[in-house]
Amino acid sequence: MRKFLCLCLCLTACLFLLSPIGPAQAADQIKFGLMGPITGDWASEGQGMQRVVELLAEEINAAGGINGAQVVIEVADDGGAPRTAAMAARKLLTSSVVAVVGTYGSSVTEATQDIYDEGGVIQIATGSTKISLTGKGLTKFFRTCPRDDEQGRVLANNVKGLGFTKVALVHDNTSYSKGLADETREILKNIGVSEVYYDSIVPNDRDYTVSLTKIKAANPDVIVFTGYYPEAGLLLRQKRELGFDVPIIGGDATNNSSIVEIAGKEAADGYLFVSPPALPDMKSESAAKLMATYRQKYDSLPSSVWAVLAGDAFLVLVEAAKAVGPDPAKMSDWLKTGLKGFEGLSGSIAFDENGDRVGEVYRLYKISPEGEFVLQ
Amino acid sequence: MYDLNFFLQQLSNGLTRGSIYALIALGYTMVYGVMKLINFAHGELFTLGAFFGYTLLVSLGLAGSLGPPMAIGISMIMVLGLVALAGHLLERVAYRPLRHSDRLAAVVSALGASIFLQNAIMLKWGAQYRAYGADLLPNVVFRIGDFNLPLVRLLVFAAAIVVMAFLHAFIHRTRLGLAIRASAIDQGAAKLMGIDVRKVIALVFVIGPALGGLAGLLVGLYYGQINYNMGQIYGLKAFTAAIIGGIGNITGAMVGGLLLGLLEALGEGYVSVAWKDALTFVVLIMILVFRPTGLLPERVAEKL
Repeated sequence: MRKFLCLCLCLTACLFLLSPIGPAQAADQIKFGLMGPITGDWASEGQGMQRVVELLAEEINAAGGINGAQVVIEVADDGGAPRTAAMAARKLLTSSVVAVVGTYGSSVTEATQDIYDEGGVIQIATGSTKISLTGKGLTKFFRTCPRDDEQGRVLANNVKGLGFTKVALVHDNTSYSKGLADETREILKNIGVSEVYYDSIVPNDRDYTVSLTKIKAANPDVIVFTGYYPEAGLLLRQKRELGFDVPIIGGDATNNSSIVEIAGKEAADGYLFVSPPALPDMKSESAAKLMATYRQKYDSLPSSVWAVLAGDAFLVLVEAAKAVGPDPAKMSDWLKTGLKGFEGLSGSIAFDENGDRVGEVYRLYKISPEGEFVLQ
Repeated sequence: MYDLNFFLQQLSNGLTRGSIYALIALGYTMVYGVMKLINFAHGELFTLGAFFGYTLLVSLGLAGSLGPPMAIGISMIMVLGLVALAGHLLERVAYRPLRHSDRLAAVVSALGASIFLQNAIMLKWGAQYRAYGADLLPNVVFRIGDFNLPLVRLLVFAAAIVVMAFLHAFIHRTRLGLAIRASAIDQGAAKLMGIDVRKVIALVFVIGPALGGLAGLLVGLYYGQINYNMGQIYGLKAFTAAIIGGIGNITGAMVGGLLLGLLEALGEGYVSVAWKDALTFVVLIMILVFRPTGLLPERVAEKL
């Protein structure tokens, strides 16, 4: 009798040990992770990402899912901070997703790359433009956004093209911002535009009048700011307050409508930035459709292009899962070799062997007196 | 490049920043003076002031319906009242029950209150940046040669100075002020003299938060942008200012705040922005090495 009980016990123990191994998902479900800054400094980006991806998932599920399997989105909040992101990544891995969309900030993505790679999961970053994220031999890392060297090139060429000769470069010491500033600095030097000021500001300090006074003393004819929209808005506002009349040209992290709210229309007027095209300027059919459903549900448009690039990341993942099944290794091979001429929201999408997106996407934008972002 | 005009401009940049630090520092120093407790939740009360102001001026549209000057006046008074109330509740809930327990318990309770308030603010108003609207205050700039002095900046500075002058007079000229000073020197003796120390503590927890809340509103009006965790940085800076000035000393908090603002502005202006905080804190350490109790130390006879 005791032997029998022992046997029973052993068998139950074995069952418990065996059952959770392997993906715990039902056969008619495919789980994708979405990691974004749902809270924190970049919350409006993260919430936009979530809305876009969830809308697209609803649409795909309504149309029958991926070969009959329903798409499930697991959302994890990285808080825009590397430490929180590492926890978010582990959370997604334990809920056995096949691939993860996200995230926005480069330093945040950087903190999670190895975690996903070790977990054998695909990661497609959507706003992380820092150059060194790719090319470190991670086979399952991709991004739908362009890289900073391309952005730096477009930024520098526009500075020269608009006829500026004395540049003040300002970054905010984050890995994205400093990377882009250094890249732009290098190219500006090569194309013969002189630099009269180079320094950082501290994000969240709110008071940048000291830096602006210093920049004013250096007498540039343009300020290149490579940081994010909350600081860009304050710089514009305080620049006007100090009566310092010089244009600012910024990078893609300032492509967010809050910038006008923070700076006020008058101060934001004439602000220039380079960025992938905004949703209304995207010519694809799917973009027009997303715009309509988004507007219907949220009565607004996604506040930036990065949310749309998260949508693109999700769409290529769905495409890959349709083609080769929900297997991360096969999917990542297919994304590099099989994905050709796929029409995403932001145009045609393909990846090179490093996982970088192929093709030029940057455009120059200017803020109009009405506070609209106008494609130049 | 670094001429007199540059110096003056940086001076005015630093004083504006410093007057906000000073207003917040007053809350830290008053509470410390009477209770020997660092109110870690003070930074969040400051944030609360900024968000109450946002609700009044922007969400409820007071600025649109009453016109900016009237709306700002009313919201200043309401923010003072509301944050004072919040401070009073905080004292009731988080500190009063612990008055006779270990000092450490009160510190932990203060930290807990800080985390609670910060998250509550995030849940109520959201995690994104909120903008006060740029047309709230007119962009009038006085120009003296190349030197620019915006009207908004004068208003912020004036508001801070007026409030601090009132507080100074209140502490030194009224009977209630006398009671606060007496409780700060020796609570036991003050009780024997017939002072209701519990009421004094409650009073300190009304005045300090109200000033912090006002600073929050001023930050919203001046910089135009607020978010739920802004209290952390401002709180830390103001706490530093209170220490520089000699914690427990009201004049010290004002001096410390202005000095910290100036140090930051000059460090940023003449050395490097990236090194600003490092420089500021080196100066702080130097001050503490040579004057461990701060610039205007809390000598018993002159306390508060």
